[in-house]
Amino acid sequence: MKLTIKDLTKTYKNGVKAIDNLNLEIGTGMFGLLGPNGAGKSSLMRTIATLQSPDSGSIEFGDINVLDDKMALRKVLGYLPQSFGVYPKMSAEKLLDYFATLKGVKLKSDRAALVKEVLEITNLYDVRKKHVAGYSGGMKQRFGIAQLLLNNPKLIIVDEPTAGLDPAERHRFLNVLREVGTNCTVIFSTHIVDDVKELCNEMAILNGGRILQHTTPTEATSEIEGQIWTKIIERDDLETNEASYNVLSSNYNQDNTLNIRVHALEKPADDFISASPQLDDVYFIALKQDEPTLA
Amino acid sequence: MFSTIFNYELKYWLRKPAFYIYMAIFFFLALFFSASSAGIFDSVTVTTGSSSIVNSPFGINGLFNAMTIFLLFLFPSIIGVSIHRDYKSEMHTILYSYPFTKANYLFAKFLSSILIVTIIIVVVGIALFIGFRMPGTNSEIVTAFDFKSYYSAYFIYILPNILLFGAIVFAVVTFTRNIAAGFITVILLLFVQGLMESLLSDPENRFLAAMVDPFGASATNYYTRYWTVSEQNELHLPIKEVILYNRLLWLGIAALVFGLVYKFFAFSQNAISISFNKNKGERATKSNFGGITRINLPKVGFDYSFVQNLKTTWKLSNIDFKYIIKSWPFLSIVLVGLIIILIALSEVGNLFGTPTLPVTWKMLNGGSSFTIAINICTFLYAGMLVHRGKIANMNHLVDVTPTPNWTLFMSKFIALIKMQLILLAVIMVSGILFQMYNGYYDFEIGHYIQELYGLRLINYAIWAFLALFVQTLFRNPYLGLFVLLVLSVGIPLLRFAGLEQSIFKYNEGPGFQYSDMNGYGNSFTRYFAYKIYWLFAGLMLLVFTALFWVRGLPHSFKERLSIAKSRFKGITIVGFAMFLICFLSLGFKIYHVNNIENKRTSSKEREIKNVEWEKTYKKYENNAQPRIVAVKAHMNIFPKERNFDAKGNYLMVNKTEVVIDSILLNHNNYPSTFKFNKEVDLVLEDTIYNFDIYKLKTPLKPGDSLELDITVNNKENTWLRNNSPVIENGTFINNFAIFPSLGYSGAGELSDNKTRKKYGLPPNDLKPHPSDSTALGNHYINKDSDWVDFEATVSTSEDQIAIAPGYLQKEWNENGRRYFHYKMDSKILNFYAFNSAKYEVVKDKWNDVNLEIYYHKGHEYNLDRMMAGMKASLDYNSKNFSPYQHKQARIIEFPRTRGSFAQSFPNTIPFSEAVGFIADVDDTDKGGVDYPFAITVHEVAHQWWAHQVIGADVLGATMLSESLSEYVSLKVLEHQQGKGKMRKFLKKALDDYLTRRTFEQKREKPLMYNDGQGYIRYQKGSLVFYALSDYIGEDVLNGALKKYVEKVQFQYPPYTTSIDMVNHIREVTPDSLQYTIKDMFETITVYENRIKDVTSTELENGKYQLDIEFEVSKYRNDEKGKKVYNDSITYKTEDMRKPIISVPLADYIDVGVFAEDESEDGEKTEVELYLKKHKITEINNKVTIIVDKLPVEVGVDPYNKLIDTNSNDNRRRL
Repeated sequence: MKLTIKDLTKTYKNGVKAIDNLNLEIGTGMFGLLGPNGAGKSSLMRTIATLQSPDSGSIEFGDINVLDDKMALRKVLGYLPQSFGVYPKMSAEKLLDYFATLKGVKLKSDRAALVKEVLEITNLYDVRKKHVAGYSGGMKQRFGIAQLLLNNPKLIIVDEPTAGLDPAERHRFLNVLREVGTNCTVIFSTHIVDDVKELCNEMAILNGGRILQHTTPTEATSEIEGQIWTKIIERDDLETNEASYNVLSSNYNQDNTLNIRVHALEKPADDFISASPQLDDVYFIALKQDEPTLA
Repeated sequence: MFSTIFNYELKYWLRKPAFYIYMAIFFFLALFFSASSAGIFDSVTVTTGSSSIVNSPFGINGLFNAMTIFLLFLFPSIIGVSIHRDYKSEMHTILYSYPFTKANYLFAKFLSSILIVTIIIVVVGIALFIGFRMPGTNSEIVTAFDFKSYYSAYFIYILPNILLFGAIVFAVVTFTRNIAAGFITVILLLFVQGLMESLLSDPENRFLAAMVDPFGASATNYYTRYWTVSEQNELHLPIKEVILYNRLLWLGIAALVFGLVYKFFAFSQNAISISFNKNKGERATKSNFGGITRINLPKVGFDYSFVQNLKTTWKLSNIDFKYIIKSWPFLSIVLVGLIIILIALSEVGNLFGTPTLPVTWKMLNGGSSFTIAINICTFLYAGMLVHRGKIANMNHLVDVTPTPNWTLFMSKFIALIKMQLILLAVIMVSGILFQMYNGYYDFEIGHYIQELYGLRLINYAIWAFLALFVQTLFRNPYLGLFVLLVLSVGIPLLRFAGLEQSIFKYNEGPGFQYSDMNGYGNSFTRYFAYKIYWLFAGLMLLVFTALFWVRGLPHSFKERLSIAKSRFKGITIVGFAMFLICFLSLGFKIYHVNNIENKRTSSKEREIKNVEWEKTYKKYENNAQPRIVAVKAHMNIFPKERNFDAKGNYLMVNKTEVVIDSILLNHNNYPSTFKFNKEVDLVLEDTIYNFDIYKLKTPLKPGDSLELDITVNNKENTWLRNNSPVIENGTFINNFAIFPSLGYSGAGELSDNKTRKKYGLPPNDLKPHPSDSTALGNHYINKDSDWVDFEATVSTSEDQIAIAPGYLQKEWNENGRRYFHYKMDSKILNFYAFNSAKYEVVKDKWNDVNLEIYYHKGHEYNLDRMMAGMKASLDYNSKNFSPYQHKQARIIEFPRTRGSFAQSFPNTIPFSEAVGFIADVDDTDKGGVDYPFAITVHEVAHQWWAHQVIGADVLGATMLSESLSEYVSLKVLEHQQGKGKMRKFLKKALDDYLTRRTFEQKREKPLMYNDGQGYIRYQKGSLVFYALSDYIGEDVLNGALKKYVEKVQFQYPPYTTSIDMVNHIREVTPDSLQYTIKDMFETITVYENRIKDVTSTELENGKYQLDIEFEVSKYRNDEKGKKVYNDSITYKTEDMRKPIISVPLADYIDVGVFAEDESEDGEKTEVELYLKKHKITEINNKVTIIVDKLPVEVGVDPYNKLIDTNSNDNRRRL
């Protein structure tokens, strides 16, 4: 099923245009939504998840008109917000049963089987009797996945789920998500480029409420093959280099020198050497192009 | 750092709209209360006429403090929030690592929020000031602005209270990091305060009560309790010992609480948690390597149908319900509520230290103290449930599920109802526990369930609708809670603003009342009509809840309005329209019945009507009218249908010396006919005042007679309206309620002179002075008759007995009805009643007098005591005064719904089921007064003191009836039970007299000129006659009374007055005691007697010498309660700031010395070692007394025979 977003616009009371005439089409599979903090990712995802209404535009999922028939979407929606809490003093098992009820699972036995399964998938079965409010960050995110699975969703929206997870938790989380995402549409927002690289078959870069680029990770990197150059410079020379070249990133080396990456169609100078493009470069190029120019 | 945080906090509040909302709410509340007390609504409702000045220091202190108590409910959201904000925003994780000290942080937070609260209080003060002077207020009851009243109220009471309660709330919120906890703490503190007050209500405990009241009100009360109206109006509140101790004590506690916060507060990330099972710490690791699992979710059935949603609603309500009952605020309310109910139950109906049996309706009544707890829980948990998702930050997970909104909010509503079910069960459980504790095993579970769940639940459910709506509308549950509290307290008060009809005030309406005799009577239909009406309003609110229910992100109000608009469609419109139609049509029906079909008179209209009545008809007051000399009544009572029809026949004689040409007939609005046996013209028929004038074709010459035939019946009762005083079991109707009287009646005249002036009426004195010999033509019961022959036939249903005064002549059955014919053999006052119920009868005899008690089956408990009371009273009165005029005496029980009193008609005494039939008398020394006995004695004594001796309708008339009956009752009680028990009675009478006179709205006159106020004729009357019998001797006093009775009994005009009786007493009073007549009857004289110092020395002969220093002084009060001396003596030593002033003394005052006897079981009883009247001429006195045994206590007027505002310092323990 396909998610089609057309001419979506949302302006907040304080004048911020969180979504700016956005058009997007997302098919089955993992879709990574990459963007810096404040790009409008959460606004977009909340809007798709029926939690807020846009000022204008339309969203369709398959034949569901999301804005008009929120209930229809909610039946097939799995949503994991950026941050969430749970009722205190309730165990994972109880809470999941609660959510299963809310999601319309009729029979008690069905709910029990379903809860057991999602607990096992998310590796929470052993701690099912513990209060969720006392879980660690990783466990809580997994609980978030568990609740999301309960209605066997067709559209899954996860908002920056890997922020703050340790490497092991992050891997496990991404694996589960991947498993889930084989047969449905998963929209996955992040500001961590690696997440997208490892997981997504499609991606978009979002900034200032607009899609800057809609592509796939491989395509994106292959497009800039041969356009990324690198050089080691002294700290004091950074400003000169930034003035002359399109510097994408600069990282310190251990000896306090800087490693800069530059985007250019041809070798900018002799002391540059060619580097193989990373998804990071794609991201930075897109953001660079979107920077407000001093007119 | 302090000022940085402090300023930041202030700025935060000053920017916040909530602060201005709070300020506005309090401004208008204070304005409403002050302006309405000053009579701003006089144009729409009754005139606020009173001799009290509303903005006296006393009044301002009361109102100002009451407003602050309201403000307490905001403390959690102001003072609590100041610190909670940092937790909520998780700011504390950063903030607590900053370089400021605990002291800086805590003091800045605390003091800044105290300052915010103070600003609101200043606003309250300003609003009070403005309110009293708003245009339209009654300037007669407002005095000049006095800044001192405001600032002393602020600095002595309000500021310390803010600091104390602020510190407590601050502490609770700091440690629990939970605003709700702060809120519940406030409620519990208020509960506990109420509890302490009722526990320590006994006069003995006043000092303790004054100390433990955190608000300081009881400490003020310690001094101002007996302030007369003039003192209340003029004096500034004292600032002395007890008040200062109290304030220092509680300020100390506030400091202590804040000190504890300071000591235990740590800049730590986690709240303090109390855990009962301390687990040993374990090293925790998690599995960091998880394999990849294949996801294969089991196939499950999804169901989004309506039925499934209903099931989900139920299930969710269970989860929310569990959340409520497991939360500690709820548990603590239940626990404290339970304790409070149990204590309230032990106080219910306690009369002179004697409780009543714990019958179920008493238990249910006592449980009413829990009402407020149920409402607060409803308001609070409506907020907690509506915002539960948001508070836990889980709302987004819930909001994206395919569960419809209605399932969500209905589940919350159902959870609230379930909570109410539990809370109502608390009332039942505590009632049953209390009954078991008292060994009363007649548990009427069905009655509990019927009242709690059948009747009361719907009332709370209607509040739950409002609570759910308000809490949905407001984003802040504490603001919502506050608004709900203001609404629930404020709605009933709209009456004072002239909004009188219940259909305009949410959840208002008639109540219900239970009696053992008549159950709930006919109150159901009206109760439910209003409740169903409001239920529809509640359902409309539920629709609004649906419209404004927040799903997803918080929206601006504008957005919510547009969402609401878009939701208002289809079934919602249909439902809303249906509820609206039902609401309006039921409302219209009720309105129509109360306003169109029947004329409704607002309080204002009633006031104006009274004015018009007086203006139009007072001119007829002195028109000569014939006197009724014989009454024949025929009364048919239909208990099942609750109807009556009656016939009456008056035989009237022109006893005057003038010709009477017209008859003034003052009747009621029952359908009636009047027919004279002589030709008359109806020249005036006033259907508003029901006052008719008939002109006789042939005028009635002196000595001529005239007959009047009356028929009267009630209009049909309807489901909304009762048009008849008849009830199914226990009808009690007196003649004034159904039969007409002759001439103008001044009963409805306005009494407040300021109000009278406003309407252009001359000042009135209520009644003429007894020395006015022209005013003695009528006695105070009727104006149209002296003594009458009486005969009545009463009929009722077959299963009931009907009673009227007189002797049963004949009883027969006819057409399935039972008839009784009663006839009096001697003349009686024109004052009789009809009773009918399913009675059991117990009979006895005293000499040749038949004694009967007609009682409700099951109420056998105190029949013996009542029978004994009748005998004792008949005995005492006939021995001491005159023979009993009848050959029978009957007590007839009537339901408590008709009142809690007993009333003496000729040889017939209707007696409420609530005041004796179910008393639980304890005959041991520790027990209270045997009031079934005492009341019976009092009522039977009325057969002499009202039915033989009846005073003229002038000032002081009630002294001849009520004071004397009370005196007889005391004396009989004393002879039967000893002097010991009298102290309880006297102390209570003294306390009641002194307390109630402080509420006097017009004037207080001396006993023999009293206006008929209860506190004078009963309480003061009993004290005075008891003391007098002690001074001049019971025999001497009774001898004088006997002579008086012989002179005046069954007298025709001119009727006797208090002057006549007092003269008889004066005659037998020795010269040295003549002053008591002046003090007790002719003036209001109040003593201030106290023991100043006492030393006891054991003498060589084993005796003890006591050197007692004591003070005696007395003053007089004028009718406003101002102290007056005329002539005076003073006493002052160097260390006294002010001299003691007294009216010159030549008084005889008891001085007593007491020892204690200890019986084998450790019970201590008092033994009188010395009791003698000493002649006192000085204020300061020293006496030396030698006694044989070890004394433990001395006293001046130790038995409180004299009226003394502080009876506790009359005794001193050694």
